[in-house]
Amino acid sequence: MSVNANAVASEQRDGFILIRLSGEVDLSWSAQVRRAVLDALGGNATVGVDLSEVSYIDSSGIAALVEGFQSARAHGGRFVLVAVSDAVRAVLELARLDRVFLLVPSADAVIAAA
Amino acid sequence: MKAARAPLSHAFARPAREATTLAFLAELSQAMAVSLDLRTTMPELVNRVVDFMQVEGATLFLLDPATNVLECRLCIGPVDITGARLALGQGVVGRAVAANATQIVADAATDARVWRAADDASGFVTRSLVCVPLRTAHGPIGAIEIVNRRDGAPLSTADAELLELIAAPAALAINNARMAGDLIEQQRLRREFDLARRLQKSLLPKRRRDGFPVVGVNRPAHEISGDFYDYFELADGRVGFVIGDISGKGLDAALLMVRAASLLRWAGKDGIAPAAWLARANDELCETTQDGRFVCAVVGYCDRAARRVRFAGAGFPPVVVHRGGTFSDYASGGPPLGILPGVAYEEHEIALDGGTLYAFSDGATDVRDADGRPIGNAGVRDLIARHAAGAAEVRLRGLLTELKQLRLVDDTTLLIVEAPRAEAPEVLLDHRVAAAAEELRGVRAAIRRTLDAVGVEPELRDRLVLAVDEACANIIRHAYGPQRSGDIGLRILRSGPMLSFELTDAAPCVDPGKIKPKPLGECRRGGFGVALIDQVMDDWHVEPARKGQGNRLILRKRIDSIGNNEANEA
Repeated sequence: MSVNANAVASEQRDGFILIRLSGEVDLSWSAQVRRAVLDALGGNATVGVDLSEVSYIDSSGIAALVEGFQSARAHGGRFVLVAVSDAVRAVLELARLDRVFLLVPSADAVIAAA
Repeated sequence: MKAARAPLSHAFARPAREATTLAFLAELSQAMAVSLDLRTTMPELVNRVVDFMQVEGATLFLLDPATNVLECRLCIGPVDITGARLALGQGVVGRAVAANATQIVADAATDARVWRAADDASGFVTRSLVCVPLRTAHGPIGAIEIVNRRDGAPLSTADAELLELIAAPAALAINNARMAGDLIEQQRLRREFDLARRLQKSLLPKRRRDGFPVVGVNRPAHEISGDFYDYFELADGRVGFVIGDISGKGLDAALLMVRAASLLRWAGKDGIAPAAWLARANDELCETTQDGRFVCAVVGYCDRAARRVRFAGAGFPPVVVHRGGTFSDYASGGPPLGILPGVAYEEHEIALDGGTLYAFSDGATDVRDADGRPIGNAGVRDLIARHAAGAAEVRLRGLLTELKQLRLVDDTTLLIVEAPRAEAPEVLLDHRVAAAAEELRGVRAAIRRTLDAVGVEPELRDRLVLAVDEACANIIRHAYGPQRSGDIGLRILRSGPMLSFELTDAAPCVDPGKIKPKPLGECRRGGFGVALIDQVMDDWHVEPARKGQGNRLILRKRIDSIGNNEANEA
């Protein structure tokens, strides 16, 4: 298992905001994740969420991502999941959301995909 | 070291001769130490002796400790007597070994000790000879003999002394080579026995944990066993069982066991009556088993609930039924299998009525008590009575442990037939935490460890962790809510292949009707938790906790790969 600490960090990239998540996203801090996602989307920005360092995600974490996805759609923004780890992908598949989100292998592909 | 091979001559000054001899001995010892293979050690030795001692011939005899016969293993010289055999005491060589003493024959023509058969057959004339035993700490292992000095002089005491000097390291080298050979042979045998043991073990059926009415256990007294047991399900739902014991010990008994075990399984697969089953196996074994070996066995069927048992025995110790504190014996109704073809067997059909049928090989009755006496039938009954409580596996293990503390002299095999008793589920995890989101990470780690320990494969493990985590999160968010605090108790239980996750809380009672999964695959902002649980678990339900307050949520998942994979050995 990954021993990454839970962390969320946003950085401005060329034409989009990249949010890096790490650790185990669960009820104890998924509200923080939700806030970071919604803040980044702000108006109509393009947002990528890097999930490569996420070793676990529960339904509250998934809900935060869903909310980001819906908010982007409603406001003309773009919302992309980047470098999804196997652990996250398994939960997305279980929730049958793997075809709902836009998934890209790396941050370099965010603009092209969006 | 050319000088070392220089001919020994009486013209040598004494110091010079000693130096040459020492050099020769050193070289000889070294040459023989190089190899542990007698096929290279012996020719090396004899060739060098002939060369160094300037004689016409030399022979090496080794003693076979099993038969006490001396055999010529190597011969250099005009007459080859390799393979010649002498009894202890026969001829000069036989005398040297029997008396463990050097023999000097200055004039062979007149000496009665000489065995002349070789000379007579070949025309070679033995004029004089010296024979020295090859001495070890455990007595002589053979002898080395030299014949006829090339210079024509009779062999002397000085020659004998020199040959004795040579014989000492030679005996050591040959002994070492033999011991190394024995060791290799032992290792080879050990490997083969190990293979046979594993093959036998693989023939025993896997322990069933799903309320199966037959349980067996086998404890070989040595590496390999002559005992076996077997059970299998028939198409009509009945359960067939076999317990058997091969006469004799060792590898050939073990091989017969392998054959008898598969034969008895084959003969019982059709579901024919136990008496006919034994008769069929008996006829088949009689056709192919010679050398006086035979097979004792009990075969039978029971229904899955073990209400009725039908069985027949062939020369096997009596089957014992223990029911309500009393014992009944059922003797075998026919001779062992493999002795007389066409034998008819009697069978028994009994109602078990909640009792237990025990079949045990004579290894159990032959177990010795503290005074070294076999404990017999009465001893086994005592044991059964003392171990009457608990699940079948637990009892068998208890019986076997106690038998082991006594002295097992034979393979011991026990078989139990009885109605499966409700077994308390095994508690894999009992964990209690405060109902707080910060605790979830630790809870997940504990679940993960527990599931890893029982061998749940990682993908399924992660799903189960997710589902239980979702359930905990719901208890925190909805059952307790932001206003209340309390604990969550988590127990993981295993009953056969069924895993149960029990979550208890002290929150107000939840209305199960209100817990509804939202459809998956839809882009909703919440409510997947229950849907994920639905997706992962076989079933789940909420009930009021026992003490009147709080809820118990039980999630269940059947995982066949963890149910039946236990080895048969306790």
